[in-house]
Amino acid sequence: MSTLINIKENQDAWQSGMAKNITFIVTKDCQLACKYCYLVGKNVKERMPWEVAKTFIDYVLDHENDSEFAMESVIWEFIGGEPFLEIELIDKICDYIKMELFRRNHHWFNSYRFSFSTNGINYHEKAVQDFIKKNRDHLSIGITIDGTEKKHDMNRVWKQPVADDNGLTKPSERGSYKDVVKNIPLWLEQFPGGGTKVTISSADIPYITESVLHLYSLGIHEVNINVVFEDVWQDGDDLKFEEQLMQLADAIIDGGYYQDYACSFFSEHIGKPQDPVLDNQNWCGAGKMLSVDAAGNLYPCTRFAQYSLRDKEAWIIGNIHDGIDKNKLRPFLTLDRTTQSPQKCIECEVASGCAWCQGENYDAAHTHTVFQRATAICLMHKARVRANNYYWNKLYRKLELEDLREQYEANKREVKPEIC
Amino acid sequence: MLQYLVILLDDTSVAYCHADNPLKERCLMPIETLKKGILFGMKHNLMIQYVFPDHALPDEYVSVIESIDNVKIYPMGCKPVTGIGVESEADVEVANSISNKVAAKNLVLRLTFSEMLKQKDNIAKLFASGARINLCITDMEQFTDEQIEVYRNLLEEWNGALLNLYKQGQSPQFNLLTDRMVLDKMHNCEAGVSNITLAPNGKFYLCPAFYYDEQMKVDNQLNHHQPTSDYSVGDLEKFLDIPNQQLLKLDHAPLCRVCDAYQCRRCIWLNRKLTWDHNTPSHQQCVMAHIERNASRDLLNEIRKMGDFMPEIQIKEIHYLDPFDVRKEF
Amino acid sequence: MKKLVGQVTPEEKNEIQQLFERKNGLNELAKILNADNTELYEKLVKDMGETGTKFQNWWDRMAQKYQWESEENGKWEINFDTNEIFLIV
Repeated sequence: MSTLINIKENQDAWQSGMAKNITFIVTKDCQLACKYCYLVGKNVKERMPWEVAKTFIDYVLDHENDSEFAMESVIWEFIGGEPFLEIELIDKICDYIKMELFRRNHHWFNSYRFSFSTNGINYHEKAVQDFIKKNRDHLSIGITIDGTEKKHDMNRVWKQPVADDNGLTKPSERGSYKDVVKNIPLWLEQFPGGGTKVTISSADIPYITESVLHLYSLGIHEVNINVVFEDVWQDGDDLKFEEQLMQLADAIIDGGYYQDYACSFFSEHIGKPQDPVLDNQNWCGAGKMLSVDAAGNLYPCTRFAQYSLRDKEAWIIGNIHDGIDKNKLRPFLTLDRTTQSPQKCIECEVASGCAWCQGENYDAAHTHTVFQRATAICLMHKARVRANNYYWNKLYRKLELEDLREQYEANKREVKPEIC
Repeated sequence: MLQYLVILLDDTSVAYCHADNPLKERCLMPIETLKKGILFGMKHNLMIQYVFPDHALPDEYVSVIESIDNVKIYPMGCKPVTGIGVESEADVEVANSISNKVAAKNLVLRLTFSEMLKQKDNIAKLFASGARINLCITDMEQFTDEQIEVYRNLLEEWNGALLNLYKQGQSPQFNLLTDRMVLDKMHNCEAGVSNITLAPNGKFYLCPAFYYDEQMKVDNQLNHHQPTSDYSVGDLEKFLDIPNQQLLKLDHAPLCRVCDAYQCRRCIWLNRKLTWDHNTPSHQQCVMAHIERNASRDLLNEIRKMGDFMPEIQIKEIHYLDPFDVRKEF
Repeated sequence: MKKLVGQVTPEEKNEIQQLFERKNGLNELAKILNADNTELYEKLVKDMGETGTKFQNWWDRMAQKYQWESEENGKWEINFDTNEIFLIV
């Protein structure tokens, strides 16, 4: 047998399960005003001052021996808004982190990354490129591009030039596809394994197949794609979604893309019942992560900052001066799947792989709790499972006919449970 | 399952648990509301517990109050005189300071941690009164790990006093130390599960503390972006509507459902205040309850040296004070 | 050409991965530190030397232990995900 069969899967995150995620919300401003963006309070006013960043870093590094910071590795994450709008601040922060880790003989000096999720608009600019060159071996950068120009520009639009009196920004009609796609070749040259995040809302469903294939054609080999957790779905969306995913499955299999390209919609490990005792882990990492905003407030995840919440108050767990109030973390660190799930989820025959976002759960909950799971994606998950089953049945049959199935089974890698 | 209906007869009805009553202006429950509340209790087979203020109620209330079997919770020295009905063994007297005279069979003694330390000898004297003593610490949230040893020593000292009484053939009842010795499962406050509170405004609350918070316009202790100070869970017109009621139950409390500090109050009001989630206890609540549990274990072992005592009860040795530290992680 | 020539244990992999990460960290730190910051600069220079030595020692030790295939002008490479050693020519 000469061909070595490979089915590309989405990569695990760096040091998955062993790294502490620490996020700087460096700005709440962005060049874009994407229509599906969950950040309802984006504004031009809240930019992180250097002193806040420095005090926060000192707090974290001073507590090296605390259980919250004992993890082997660290991912320093920068988000916005658009993080690269604050590239000078970020550069200063990263330099300070590197120097302090080294000066203090901190165990994270041997295992850290700086991670960015950017809209890609100013990726080519000198300040960003200088930063990339300087930190090349410790960077993870993902550019968000949503698919075809039509699909991308439906949601990812520029903001209006003038903010309102509260500094809040509003969408314009101008799409951002052309401004982003021009930077994809440079990004892929620097990060050949780079993946992109695609978000699907109700209106995007008809464009899923063409969008994923378009991203593959741009040279992006890993497409991480998710439906939004919010309750935006219309009657019949699940059936349209299933149809799109089956079309995508045909295209990936018939076109042989499965060997070199991955799409997170398809996974062998979803759509199975889950044991209430053995498979009881929480999906989301909120509480194990730590976020800081421009005011120096600390959050269990950025989704608990006020600009991410529609109906609830921010869940602040402390601040850079007083530190973390550990009582406020206890609900997050005791969360399990079954306690927060309604009975229909516990009994669900296709439960595995059905995701949730703790922030959205909190925002949508009837009371002030993180223990009420939002289930707006229920029908969408079930549709995904049906299409996923179709994908694997079709792919296995193809491999069998090509006499490659056994080889694939023997060599496939073990997949760790996905968490947010 | 609901079993008890707590009726606050007045805004100034005595506080009998962790939360102080900050309401100083009298506001009596309208008599029609009281009648409807009693009717609600009768229809739902609920035992009614009246909570009295420190002033006498108008005469017309007396016959209404006594129209149903009840338990009375009243401030020390203000025993309600109704002239009707039978005095219940379960009536509760509430004191915010130590008194040598205990009129009721049940005394709730509400003290801060430091007052409790100061008054430890006087408290020990109450053990022999024949009354059940419920000591309620009113500033639990201030408890720090530096006070663990202090609390441990205090309970050890009280264990000595209790043991002497057992040696004399008495059976003192003191919630912090003797309850756990006779429990084989959780016996907690169960606000919103086995009991519900009817306030003078005709609305239901999980417990009186939530009514106080609402009246004082206490937000949610977050950052006050929006007022969320309506804490009611139904009223006499619409009846009960407790959102996420499952989260008040033991099986939906990941830390508590595997815990054996059975005497713990599991105060959901304190949970809400300190951890922001009703089903998650604070470090303070867990640590204090475990110090009590361990001291109960010591007392039980000492009593058993004198002979058989509650042979079916097991309190095993453990090496943690906060179950959070040994929680199952996935 | 890339040829699989052996595999190390997870513990051995962890050791070299940590040294690899440290080497990269020191190199990137060197880009922002200058000699004015005497104390840190001297610490950095010393550490770079020590880490470089440990790094080389690991390869020497493992090559001795496992007797991997080698070639003139070739080099070995490790895959941190699989712990496999490849000969690159």
